[in-house]
Amino acid sequence: MLDALDKDLLKVVADLEDIPKGAYNIRKNGKLASRATSANINIETNAENTGIIVTIAPGTINESVHIPVILSEAGLNDVVYNTFIVGSGSDVTIIAGCGIHCGGSAPEGHEGIHEFRVGKGARVKYVEKHYATGPGAGKRTLNPTTKVFLEENAHVEMELTQIGGVDDADRLNEATLGAGSSILIMERVMTDGNQKASSKNEIILAGENSRSNMVSRSVIKGNSRQNFYATMTARAKCVGHIECDAIIMDNGTNETIPALRAEHPDAELSHEASIGKIAGDQLMKLMSLGLTYDEAVNRIIQGFLR
Amino acid sequence: MLELKDLYFSVTEKDGLNDNQKRDIIDGMSFVFETGKFYAITGPNGSGKTTLARLIMGINQVSGGEIHFNGQDITGLTITERAKAGIAYSFQQPARFKGITFRDLLSISTGIDDEAKLISLVRRVGICPLSFLDKAVDATLSGGEIKKIELATTIARNPKLAIYDEPDTGIDLWTIGPMVSLLKKEQMENHTTTIVVSHNKAFLEAADTVLIVNHGKFVYVGNLKDALPILADFSICNYKNCPEGEQDARCFR
Ligand SMILES: Nc1ncnc2c1ncn2[C@@H]1O[C@H](COP(=O)(O)OP(=O)(O)O)[C@@H](O)[C@H]1O
Ligand SMILES: [Mg+2]
Repeated sequence: MLDALDKDLLKVVADLEDIPKGAYNIRKNGKLASRATSANINIETNAENTGIIVTIAPGTINESVHIPVILSEAGLNDVVYNTFIVGSGSDVTIIAGCGIHCGGSAPEGHEGIHEFRVGKGARVKYVEKHYATGPGAGKRTLNPTTKVFLEENAHVEMELTQIGGVDDADRLNEATLGAGSSILIMERVMTDGNQKASSKNEIILAGENSRSNMVSRSVIKGNSRQNFYATMTARAKCVGHIECDAIIMDNGTNETIPALRAEHPDAELSHEASIGKIAGDQLMKLMSLGLTYDEAVNRIIQGFLR
Repeated sequence: MLELKDLYFSVTEKDGLNDNQKRDIIDGMSFVFETGKFYAITGPNGSGKTTLARLIMGINQVSGGEIHFNGQDITGLTITERAKAGIAYSFQQPARFKGITFRDLLSISTGIDDEAKLISLVRRVGICPLSFLDKAVDATLSGGEIKKIELATTIARNPKLAIYDEPDTGIDLWTIGPMVSLLKKEQMENHTTTIVVSHNKAFLEAADTVLIVNHGKFVYVGNLKDALPILADFSICNYKNCPEGEQDARCFR
């Protein structure tokens, strides 16, 4: 069912050498390739047949779900709607990711809408990597959406990474936080050539003592363009922070707009934003430790995107 | 081992009357630093000490003159080439990174990522606790912490020539003594030619030779005793009347 190419893609987007342990759902070219459930984690196709529903039983601790998507068929635009219902008190890792191998000139794309309902006191780590490769000239598009609803005292950590090869990406992240809940979103995007990537983030701190931290790191090479928009809205006593840094190399361009909106007097919101070239003093320091200019650039970018 | 031959560093700046006024920040410096000796360079703020150090490391390019290192003309070499030749520089204002830890800098500096070796290195440079290894070298570090890391990455290179630019900035009073001992030990055990830019009496006393820079020139080369009257004239600090102890530290800061 999975060929060598598929396995390469899986390794990059899901760190999978082979079929994963525990629950998983591998989607290939718009169809189910393989699936496994576990005692605590159920996966079923939704009623509309547009995606899957992953249900994690309350109290499930230290389990993981892999749900990679691979595309290797020219001309395919795959759209999925996946729902994750995470039971209260559980602690799980969800690894998603989409790998595109483009062999032809027709465009290939994937639009994944992931909705998370995170129960009381549950902890979720969500890791999503996007990557495209292949000799074909077809445009590779990835438009991911995440919608996260955090109940009381839930905690979500999201690591969203777009490593390379994606021509066009339009990302939307939405989160609504209940009382005492927290979310950390770490987004890393590297673009090159004529690629475009845009990220829109809407975070609503609805519950008292909710906390959110959004960190975005962009590296913009060649003639590529990245835009980053983030809005944090506070509706209760809460703490929110946005940190967005973009490093421009070559002729890259960037627009970064962090926005803070307080609808409650006890809101504490802050942001830091920066756009610029690699700092000269960082380069000088690493060169004075014996690295060449190019090695120093690579090391700085690698750290920045870590 | 390091020879400065009629060194110049000039910039053009506006001075109100003239748009392109040339200014010699380093104004004809010549000197021979000898292998394994300990030198202290001092002088008023803005006199050109950091600029001189950056010229030696290759961070700034000379406007005139030559720099020779162990018999080789290094004036045209890059920073990387000079580093590989055995020159190391601790920046006055160390760079702060994102996503790079002390451990990363030490591995880059030495080419080692073996845990036991890194730990023995951290011990050698007298940094504790060891948990410091995984500290991010970013904007959250205090001024003193980043200077210690900077010093450690310089020592870690086992350089033939080590230049420390005001290593004591932000360092607490109790750490200055050990820092001086550490640099002396490196000098003694590894024959490291050591140049410390500092106003701190502890470093001036540790030096074999004191050099005073003013307006981009060496205005004095010799022992500390004879340097004191000149320094007093600069009103950097009255070295003679300073009492011991904490006031001493405040005085020489
Ligand atoms: N690249 C430069 N362009 C213009 N002025 C400079 C440059 N580098 C240093 N200067 C100036 O040269 C003088 C000496 O600076 P510096 O070497 O940092 O002094 P010190 O380390 O002795 O305090 C200062 O007035 C500084 O502003
Ligand atoms: Mg200086």
